[in-house]
Amino acid sequence: MAKEIATFLVNGGEYEVIIEPHVLLIDVLRDKLGLTGTKYACGAGDCGACTVLIDGKPSFSCLTLAVTAKGKSILTVEGLAEGNELHPIQQAFVDKGAIQCGFCTPGMILSAKALLDQNPEPTREEIKSALAGNLCRCTGYVKILDAVESAAAGLRNGGQR
Amino acid sequence: MHRVLLPFEFAEPTSVAEVIELVDGEKARPLAGGVDLVLRMRLRQVVPDRVVSLQKVPGLDYVQADAGALRFGALATLRQIERAPEVRDRWPLLAEAIGCIVSVQTKVMGTAVGNLCVGTPASDVAPALYALGARVKIAGRQGVREIPIEEFFVDAGKTAVGRNEIVTEIVVPVPLLGSTGAFLKLSKTSEDIAKVNAAVMVTVSGDTCTTARIALGSVAPTPLRAMEAERVLQGRPLSAKAIVEAAEAACEAVAPISDVRSTAAYRKEMVRVLVRDALARAVLRVPAAKEG
Repeated sequence: MAKEIATFLVNGGEYEVIIEPHVLLIDVLRDKLGLTGTKYACGAGDCGACTVLIDGKPSFSCLTLAVTAKGKSILTVEGLAEGNELHPIQQAFVDKGAIQCGFCTPGMILSAKALLDQNPEPTREEIKSALAGNLCRCTGYVKILDAVESAAAGLRNGGQR
Repeated sequence: MHRVLLPFEFAEPTSVAEVIELVDGEKARPLAGGVDLVLRMRLRQVVPDRVVSLQKVPGLDYVQADAGALRFGALATLRQIERAPEVRDRWPLLAEAIGCIVSVQTKVMGTAVGNLCVGTPASDVAPALYALGARVKIAGRQGVREIPIEEFFVDAGKTAVGRNEIVTEIVVPVPLLGSTGAFLKLSKTSEDIAKVNAAVMVTVSGDTCTTARIALGSVAPTPLRAMEAERVLQGRPLSAKAIVEAAEAACEAVAPISDVRSTAAYRKEMVRVLVRDALARAVLRVPAAKEG
């Protein structure tokens, strides 16, 4: 049906993409913009691999109609690093070995970012609850929680962003 | 599960009146948060010709509390309601029930009204709203009608919302003084929907239970009140014996089905357990000193 040229604000940049109403946000990100950091897995809102931040809120890009995300600020995992310097949350995931196959990592990191943006000093329980919508098929949850705790401490002690 | 959706016409009206005109039949679906609708479109369980987004209608995303009631609009998200200080303070049962939906993304995107409009008896929000005596406002061409939530759920997947109608608001009265409640959910994993869930609200005056509302989910085509169990408690102290009797009455009253999540026999037995435990939990929450 009606095609349109839509403007998406992704990772601080403006992108014009031709879309139709039935196109999903994840397909705009991955297929039109080449941002394949956002993962497609269950397609049903169970796993959280497709999580992106829309206006700062963790959202399933696989259940979001792209047309409803026009003009909103979208952050994907590609928007976190500055040049070759990883974001402190990404660095903490590396340092703590919180990555096994890596498939859940972009979603985990974005859910963690949404948490830490609002709550710089979360308890372990608060971290668990913030990541409850993200599944790790390798079951490496303990190190993920360690990484978020460590990132929070790092950010509080003067890490950037 | 399909990777892409089938094409549809998309409408983004800016008033409730326009939305009502556009949702003119089975093939026209309102979209709030989309967590259920888009999923069911992927599954081809729903193949709409037209999707009518409410997202551009101003003034539907409120959560407001005053002396008489809590009100939230069709676009109030589960997360917004769960975290609202007034909800946590005065309607903690509702926050507790929403808390049993664990995925942050689901709660950030999904609305409470959307959760109800799915019409599933496994809703975690619905039993809490049954126990709290909530009412549903439905806007249509003839204006707005308001019905008790018990009349909203008609059958599995079927609600009282008709053609050219949408739910605009949920009204939850302030609980009576001395009321406490509890919500319990039993599920395969914490992110799955309920095998059985139960919400209770009891009002205690002196030693006596003056009102009791007990609601169950996932044991019938709609959520339901366990009225026999409520009657067992009324006018009695909430003793361990009374609680066991009420739980027994609730168990006797239900006739659940077997499906992929559980068996009828297990569900029935778990009604007894959840009602017993929820009542016990509610009793523990009765304030020790009388409230002034």
